[in-house]
Amino acid sequence: MDNLRTLVVDASQTRLEVADAIAWVSDPRFGGIATFIGCVRGANLGRVVTGISYDIFRPLALHIFADIGAQARREVGDPLKLYIAHACGRLAVGDIAVLVAAGTPHRDEAFRACRLAIEAVKHASPIWKQEHYIDGDSAWSEGCSLCDAQSAEAGVAVAAGSHQHPHGHRH
Amino acid sequence: MKIHLALYGTLREVDPRGWLELEVAEAATVADLRAALVAYLESHTSNARASVVERSAFASRDSVLRETSPLPAGVELAVLPPVSGG
Repeated sequence: MDNLRTLVVDASQTRLEVADAIAWVSDPRFGGIATFIGCVRGANLGRVVTGISYDIFRPLALHIFADIGAQARREVGDPLKLYIAHACGRLAVGDIAVLVAAGTPHRDEAFRACRLAIEAVKHASPIWKQEHYIDGDSAWSEGCSLCDAQSAEAGVAVAAGSHQHPHGHRH
Repeated sequence: MKIHLALYGTLREVDPRGWLELEVAEAATVADLRAALVAYLESHTSNARASVVERSAFASRDSVLRETSPLPAGVELAVLPPVSGG
């Protein structure tokens, strides 16, 4: 899709740049650009976090990002430009882990497309994070089962609507 | 037939290579592969890891597979624990 840019970058070689995302979705037709920037937080569930390692099944993630783009287009209509990027590998506190930008003629579609995309990236994409703590311990985060979605498209639909977390986490 | 199964997230720690090779019947489905993986983990690692598999999906490089789907031949598959991106 010409109006969709999807990336999985190796954190040891490339940093996600907000300016790149905004430049990519900018267009003379668009008066609204919404962005979501997800950064590594220095604390989680009462523990001091020093970094996060992300593991990604890249080929499937890129397919699902494309599905997310198609779903966003169905939801808000054309014209829409959407940028979805996620970092893979070890990140430090404050580093950008995920970056979504949506450009549309008006703000409502931009906010909606951006929100739909980030929720689907978090809940329906094959991405895992391992938190590293100040005491040297590490732990994989609890997450959302893709069994509940059974398909990328269903997962996007779940992510865009109400979504319960029986395992009691917040993200 | 032999299935090459890539490991991700917490299941990556099951094998330092990041993948396993499991033997399943020729007409096996995703459910059969899940059972084979649970049996492998119960005999080689902890029950906690086996329980993660109950909440894991199975996928090819381009789609998440349904539980009743026959396993595609000659295709690398992956087991996907609950996801936590972003």
